[in-house]
Amino acid sequence: MRISIEPNRCMGHGRCYAVAADLLSDDEQGFVAECGQTLDVPEHLRDQAREAADACPESAISLLEATAADA
Amino acid sequence: MTTPIRQCPVSHADFGTNTEIYGHYAMLDAEREADRFRFNDTTDRGFLMLQRYDDVVEGFQHHDVWTTEVRSAINPEPGVPLLPQDLNGEAHAKLRRVLNPFFSPAAVRRMEPMAHQRCVELIEELRPKGSCDFVAEFAIRYPTDLFLALLGLPVSDGEFFLPWSETVFAGFFGEDPAKVAAAKNNIMEYFDKAVRERRANPRDPKEDMVSRLIEARIDGEPISHEDILTICLTLMLAGLDTTRSALGYIYAHLAHNDADRQAIIDHPDLAPKAVEEFLRMYPLVFQAGREVQEATEFHGVDLRPGDVVWLGIAQANRDPRKFPEPDRFVLDRRGANQHIAFGAGPHRCLGMHLARLELAIVLREWHKRIPHYRIKEGTELVERGGQLTLTTLPLEWEV
Ligand code: SF4
Repeated sequence: MRISIEPNRCMGHGRCYAVAADLLSDDEQGFVAECGQTLDVPEHLRDQAREAADACPESAISLLEATAADA
Repeated sequence: MTTPIRQCPVSHADFGTNTEIYGHYAMLDAEREADRFRFNDTTDRGFLMLQRYDDVVEGFQHHDVWTTEVRSAINPEPGVPLLPQDLNGEAHAKLRRVLNPFFSPAAVRRMEPMAHQRCVELIEELRPKGSCDFVAEFAIRYPTDLFLALLGLPVSDGEFFLPWSETVFAGFFGEDPAKVAAAKNNIMEYFDKAVRERRANPRDPKEDMVSRLIEARIDGEPISHEDILTICLTLMLAGLDTTRSALGYIYAHLAHNDADRQAIIDHPDLAPKAVEEFLRMYPLVFQAGREVQEATEFHGVDLRPGDVVWLGIAQANRDPRKFPEPDRFVLDRRGANQHIAFGAGPHRCLGMHLARLELAIVLREWHKRIPHYRIKEGTELVERGGQLTLTTLPLEWEV
């Protein structure tokens, strides 16, 4: 699974890193530091990734399920 | 096919008047369930009501053409300038970048010891009395003290400061303009003195917000003195009444719902979660306004420049399509974090992280010291319209 955060949508609500502290972090201004990136989600953090996507009021976070080709 | 906005279904609901507690949520829920969109004709300009979660969030995201030229659909011409709210687009983003670092989670964590200390002092002052008007004696004093401390001003100034801010705030809901202007002048003079003092004796701009505002450059230019004063005024108006109101609704709920209160007494670490669910359930700023700048078609409705749009924050937070059984307090609610009590889009509340911290500290510390309390018998709880707050909340406990 991968997680990506769309920079034009992120408004710094900070809900994602509040619920997924092991995966995401905040920058100086309170926006998610991983903005604009696509990260691989380690197996044990999948639930956190789902919670982060669920928590963002701007729908800035998408999850990409790994396909067979990724494996 | 598209429809112009001044057309059936029309709502005549007036949200500016006082009701008994929860009266506004009942009205707002009824409007939302009656129709997806409604034109409301209770103000001179009228407004198109967006009331369901998806529509409201989408509305906030139209910020390029729906601007804060109008900030409240109910009161589109409030008269008092606010910064950064009054700005839009790039100008807004630039000023927010100056302010953001003072309100980021990291900055807010630095304020935690002070917030904690002030909270405990206030609770300890009240505890031996066995009763208090929670609204007047705690819920407004606590954020006022923290606001002054945030600006590096003496906490004791709250005594004379508070009546001024209450009057200016009442101006948004129809208070006599001459009174409002006088109170605003007093506040501006007070800030003027403070900012001048800081110009003479600058402090560390990383720690001290006024020093940062003095030092900051936007496109190479300093922020004008007048704008700095307006920013201070805005932060005050935005932070005090809302925190007071949130605390009022939270404590009214907890006084009535023993199981929810017990959960917080038993698990103080759940306070931040409880805060989220309370913010979802009892948003105080129940709407934001926007002014349409360019002809827009919004899901079949035609909007023209100058039209006013109502972004129904409370209606979205209590939309059963998004949050099943919205009237229930569910500590573990899935996706509760997606509530929009603080708005959305670039104008979302600057103080949201501070507010969350303040509220969580109160829940933890109060219940540690005064776990059980009740609302004084025979009290009728009244909520102010326009922007919700409880006018009084008399609590009693055993000492
Ligand atoms: S919750 Fe959404 S808007 Fe907020 S910081 Fe995370 S990605 Fe950005």
